[in-house]
Amino acid sequence: MTIAAEQEMPRSKRRSSLIRSPQFSSLVILIVLLAVFAIADGNFLSPLNISNMMAFLPELGIIALGMTLLLTAGEFDLSVGAVFGLAPVVVMLLVQNGGFDIGIALLAGLLLCIAIGAVNGLIVTKIGISSFLVTLSMLLVVRGAALYITQGFPLKSWDQPGFFVTLLAGSFNIGTFRFYTSLWWFIGLSLLAIYVLHYAKLGNWISAIGSNRNAAVARGVPADAVKVWLFILTSVLAGLAGMISAFRISAASPVAGTGYELEVIAMVVVGGTALTGGRGTILGTIVGALMLRSIRNGIVLIGVPGLAYNIFVGVIILAMLILHALLQKNAARS
Amino acid sequence: MEVLRLHNLQKSFGSVRALKSASFTLNEGEVVALLGDNGAGKSTLIKAISGVFPVDRGDIYVRGLKVSIRSTRGAMDLGIETIHQDTSLAPDLSIARNLFLGREPVNLKWLGVFAPLDLAKLRDAAAALLKRVGISKKLDADALVSTLSGGERQSIAISRAMQFAAKVIILDEPTNNLGVEETHGVLRFVKEMRAAGHSVLLITHNIHHVFQVADRIIVMRRGEIVAEQTVADTDLLTVESIITGADMSALLKETRAK
Repeated sequence: MTIAAEQEMPRSKRRSSLIRSPQFSSLVILIVLLAVFAIADGNFLSPLNISNMMAFLPELGIIALGMTLLLTAGEFDLSVGAVFGLAPVVVMLLVQNGGFDIGIALLAGLLLCIAIGAVNGLIVTKIGISSFLVTLSMLLVVRGAALYITQGFPLKSWDQPGFFVTLLAGSFNIGTFRFYTSLWWFIGLSLLAIYVLHYAKLGNWISAIGSNRNAAVARGVPADAVKVWLFILTSVLAGLAGMISAFRISAASPVAGTGYELEVIAMVVVGGTALTGGRGTILGTIVGALMLRSIRNGIVLIGVPGLAYNIFVGVIILAMLILHALLQKNAARS
Repeated sequence: MEVLRLHNLQKSFGSVRALKSASFTLNEGEVVALLGDNGAGKSTLIKAISGVFPVDRGDIYVRGLKVSIRSTRGAMDLGIETIHQDTSLAPDLSIARNLFLGREPVNLKWLGVFAPLDLAKLRDAAAALLKRVGISKKLDADALVSTLSGGERQSIAISRAMQFAAKVIILDEPTNNLGVEETHGVLRFVKEMRAAGHSVLLITHNIHHVFQVADRIIVMRRGEIVAEQTVADTDLLTVESIITGADMSALLKETRAK
């Protein structure tokens, strides 16, 4: 074999590959961004602003965790934003118009998310249509359903204190910081996702399916079943995030979550997960979620006109992706 | 001793009879080359044996026992490992993770797919395996497969098949897209497999390689086995003419028509 050309991999090379890993470069950029915003505006790191950012972060972050696993397996889901809107709307309609108990309504909402994810997954795997087209159609169906059943009007959300409100949208103070229970959800689910993707048997399967589906199938990995479950998971997490959001602001709007699908995908790929599958990183996604959140927040604080700020967000995301691509090329060459 | 016996395997796709009838026997420690032009039915035959799809008719015997192979996993459990052209490995996974893909060593087995990988065992077993096949010095078990050359990938795939003590190893065009030296490496591997008691079914276009490693040659044409000879009893030109036979007569007809 002509393996003689390959030298043994020295330890220093392994360390440098960590530094060149996509999540590391994302982390460096996140730190730079935070520093820039902190210097440009003293209020950026104030307890109130950090509390604000931490209130929004978990809602998109939770969806991003599911999206990371799904992207790693080589598929993606454009219907998450619509599910984010529909799930709480259905729950509140069942409570307000159907007279159901809030617990049962929440359960029904989650079952609906499971059904949406299952339909996505089954069409993608059994009929073989690309997930882009399937979930784009599902986005329209789900968003349309939310608008139709509410006649376009936002619903007043559940605001009576109780177990479920505390569970999903309770708040607590640490010093001068005010946090929501959603942060615990995000942290817990992140740890679970890290475990599953990097340390469990399932994670090995997910990466293998996204990297080379035929190879995985040839080794007896049930690729289609894994994908269907990941679609279900992503949908459920989107619905959960929607309910958390609706409970926090005490309103369920049929247009909530519009455009979230792209924001979530941006978080995931900015963190270093490959859009083409095979390479996924939950830590990178957490960094990506923090980055997009702080960009949105910081840009407003430093005085960029509100209407212009998407320009900056877009440019920063592009810059990140170019950087990842260059790093990837570099790694391949060495 | 007989390891694998196929009796009258048939397979059609719609009106196309991809496999009209195939019967042959593979013995222990034997390298059999399966030759034939494109569309001769080689791929259909090996896909049927490796569990990609079921046959319409015919029987498969493993060590004398009649079996039905319903999935790739089922074939593997019977000791039949197939190495496809370049689709056998996941490039974004490490060598170690690829070696055990689908058969990962885990702790807390009752957790099912959520069971934690036994990373220490994974790495040790991978290193031991790489050492056994003589490439440990050059390859790190944690290296990503995407950083390997074509020949290295092929040897990883082959060592994976050997590791699970496969009785039958099917190699589908193992030397495609490989350089001269890498090809020699793979052929050396085939000889080692035979020496270790594995039976090898080698599918290839390259007749020269066949004469270097195979014990027996089976030629397929239009979904049928048209010739079966030991390497010692034949020569390159004869085999070549058997393979292209159909085309030659067609060519002859064409010229006559003119």
